Amino acid sequence: MNVLMLLLLAALMHATRSFAVDNEPGSSGMSLAFGFLLVSGYYAGRMMAHFGLPKLTGYLVIGVLVGPPGLGLVSRAMVESLSLVNGMAIAMIALTAGTELDLARIRPLARTLAGITAFGIIATIGLIAVAIWIARPLLPFFAPLSTAEAISVTLVLAVVMAAQSPAIVVALGDELRADGPLARTVLAMVVLGDLLIILLFAITSTFARATFGASAHALQTLATLSWEIGGSLFVGAVLGALVILYLQRVKVDAALFLLAVAFSVAEIGGRLGLDPLLVALAAGAVVRNASEFGDELHHQLQFPALPVYVLFFCLAGATLHAEVWAIMWLPAIILAAVRAVGLLAGSRLGARLAGAPPVVQRFVGYGLLPQAGLAQALALLFNRVFPEFGVEAGSLVLAVVALNVLISPVAYRAALARSGEVGAEVDSFRPTATSD
Amino acid sequence: MTAGRLRVRCPWVVFALVASAAHASAQGADADAGADDDAGVELAGDRGVTGPSRPALLPTEPIVVLPPVKAAPQIAPVVEESKKARPPEAPIASADRPAALLKTILGLLTLITLAYLGGHPRVLALERQLGISQVITAGFPFVMLGWLARTPVIGLLNDELLAELSPLLRIGLGCIGLVAGYGFSQQLRAAPAVLQVAAFAAGVPFLLVALMCGPLLLWMSGDLTSAALRDPVFVRDALILGTAGAMTAPSSTHVVHADDSQSMLARTLRTEELAGMIGLAIIAAYFRPQSGVSWQLPGTAWLLLTLGLGGTLGLIAYLILRRVQEGPEFVLLTLGILGFSAGTAGYLRLSPVVIAFLAGVCLALLPELPRSRLDEALRRVERPIYLLSLIVIGALWQIDDWRGWLLVPAFTLARLIGKRIGLDIGLRRAGLELRTKERQVLSMAPIGSLAIAIVVNAQMLYPGGSISPIVAAVIVGGMLTEVAFQLASRRSVGPAENRSGA
Repeated sequence: MNVLMLLLLAALMHATRSFAVDNEPGSSGMSLAFGFLLVSGYYAGRMMAHFGLPKLTGYLVIGVLVGPPGLGLVSRAMVESLSLVNGMAIAMIALTAGTELDLARIRPLARTLAGITAFGIIATIGLIAVAIWIARPLLPFFAPLSTAEAISVTLVLAVVMAAQSPAIVVALGDELRADGPLARTVLAMVVLGDLLIILLFAITSTFARATFGASAHALQTLATLSWEIGGSLFVGAVLGALVILYLQRVKVDAALFLLAVAFSVAEIGGRLGLDPLLVALAAGAVVRNASEFGDELHHQLQFPALPVYVLFFCLAGATLHAEVWAIMWLPAIILAAVRAVGLLAGSRLGARLAGAPPVVQRFVGYGLLPQAGLAQALALLFNRVFPEFGVEAGSLVLAVVALNVLISPVAYRAALARSGEVGAEVDSFRPTATSD
Repeated sequence: MTAGRLRVRCPWVVFALVASAAHASAQGADADAGADDDAGVELAGDRGVTGPSRPALLPTEPIVVLPPVKAAPQIAPVVEESKKARPPEAPIASADRPAALLKTILGLLTLITLAYLGGHPRVLALERQLGISQVITAGFPFVMLGWLARTPVIGLLNDELLAELSPLLRIGLGCIGLVAGYGFSQQLRAAPAVLQVAAFAAGVPFLLVALMCGPLLLWMSGDLTSAALRDPVFVRDALILGTAGAMTAPSSTHVVHADDSQSMLARTLRTEELAGMIGLAIIAAYFRPQSGVSWQLPGTAWLLLTLGLGGTLGLIAYLILRRVQEGPEFVLLTLGILGFSAGTAGYLRLSPVVIAFLAGVCLALLPELPRSRLDEALRRVERPIYLLSLIVIGALWQIDDWRGWLLVPAFTLARLIGKRIGLDIGLRRAGLELRTKERQVLSMAPIGSLAIAIVVNAQMLYPGGSISPIVAAVIVGGMLTEVAFQLASRRSVGPAENRSGA
């Protein structure tokens, strides 16, 4: 039935698009892609759940299949035109993640987080850097670079490839209604990891630009970084206060107000040089920790949660640059494998040294494997920051992301299932949105 | 002619008039176009034919399309023409960032303040005293919010953003249509007498609005010759205005509490919606905008295609929703169906309101659908989408267009008189009696969201400048009729009853 419905929808989509002769109808195309991705993503998710895989993987796979990398039923113009919806989805996912960041529950995890950061993330960056350095003969864009330049580019690439995905972690946690030491540690870790990667990217890219002879002022970098991280956290805190004010004083139609907040974060945040993910995360965390409205906010976000997840991950699949696989498949597989080994072994070691519970030691690395938005965004930044080799280097990162985005949610789902935390979420507001 | 035969024919008078007006206009335009180079006329069988002869795939009925239109600047962001060369949005310069940030925060703070004030008991009491509570409930402040957000001083809703929000408007229109169709189908078995009342209550205001506003439309177009009467743009605009004037807000029945008459009122008002849908379907089928669609068909074929597409999408929606158990999945799929229907209609240059209306009718008629879940999903989806659509509609509103303001009194007055006369005739012919309150609801009831959807839909189908004053007239007319109805119903129904209804 699911396959038949998917085929029927695909046929209708194809037929509909054949009606336009001259150009891609703008707003009609956006509406069509919006509706098609929601419904087909739903069926793909059901199919995956039938095989014991995350629904999330279904959303990603259908995005790849019907998007520009696959059948092209959803064109690149359609995907790009849905960027605002995508941005709002990121903001809402991050808001949800923020409401999960209960400092009182995370504080005892500080030692574990420090251990995993040191041995899991930073050591993995080092490991990936070594792997890239060794794999240089497979990467043509390294050929014209001097040793200093090659080292700097290696470091930037290693940092970007180590990025994780809070969005996937939150979505899977919601889908499986997972709660427990593992789910909490992974969520806190990926949020922390996100911050660390942004920080390290700024430092290494400044260093790299300096080696390429470009003017790279340390003070300017510091100012940019302070604005991006500090500014995002500050603006997020202000937005959090506004959300509290709304939930306290107005109460009704909160979903509409949250949409307005997500819209502001997505639309204004990026243009202001802030990180929309951090802004929304901070806002959610402020509501959770500075008021009693954390559960209420979480509940309000559940109503649009399923459409947001489906659309976001379908678009993530549709924006995967599968074509780069034809060129980069071998180094991408090597680097993805090295990354996985580094994260799994490093985080296990870090968790053990920090005295984390056995379930965390054993499975936390799987939660760090997923990659999506941040790595993609940084890969696309390569073009702007390093015009000399940005396209090729960005393609390599995108190839690694493509591999991780499709495989790692399956691994993390299996880890959550084996940890026994699936279905442990007891919050009565918890969604049935993505549950089977 | 016997009374019985007359009774059977009456409901179709309106539709026959609309169809004949469309057909006559089509013939006139065809004659004009044929004298030149047949720019707007193309036969299906001719397309792409390079050989000496090839039989036409479809009957050789002349196909009439409107002259090419260039999107008016105000509407341009939400129609296709403007999509081509929009530059990517530039980051805000560092120096301007604090101001932009402050503006955003202040904007959100204003929203909170407005929402807080909107729910405050004193403000609610004042609204009731002024007779504007229903105007607020109907969402008109969101129209004003959208208009304000696009003013150069505020500048929150710029063209790029409006373009990105445009699917929302299409989905919103589809949502209004789906809800209307789903609600209408429950009245399908309405008694012939009710149908007759509805036909006159919709038909007479339709005619009167078209006739009274027609001269104004002609004057505004600058062509007062008799040839202008056959101008398809004029006929189309008059039909759109008339169709919008025929609509009545179903929510206005809240002021009456007697179950039987409410049912009769609801049936009448829902049946009026059917008339509106037929009017819009005819306009979209017979007054085709040029280019953009690979098929060139006669108007009747487009009408049949509209019916077929609406039915097909309704069937698909039924297949999709039939087995769904979870509430959130219903919301997701309802949104998906709305987006898909609106997008498909947009690709074919058909009305998303009509397509979704037909899909809604199918959904309601087909068996074994978990209706309570669908009701809940529609309830959850409808209001946020509707209110957000009103913001976009407000942003597209040309408040400074004097033509719109000129149309307002004529439109409102013609509609009011037409409703009154139509109702009297309809009741007399059907042999029905209504109490004063019910008569008042039917004759004075406000325009409602479907009328706004009809004119906004027309503006998207024909993005030239001539629809813009019609949109303005209907929006302002909607507000005025809400206030007038509220005041009148409070006087006759009594404040306590009115309050509970609102």
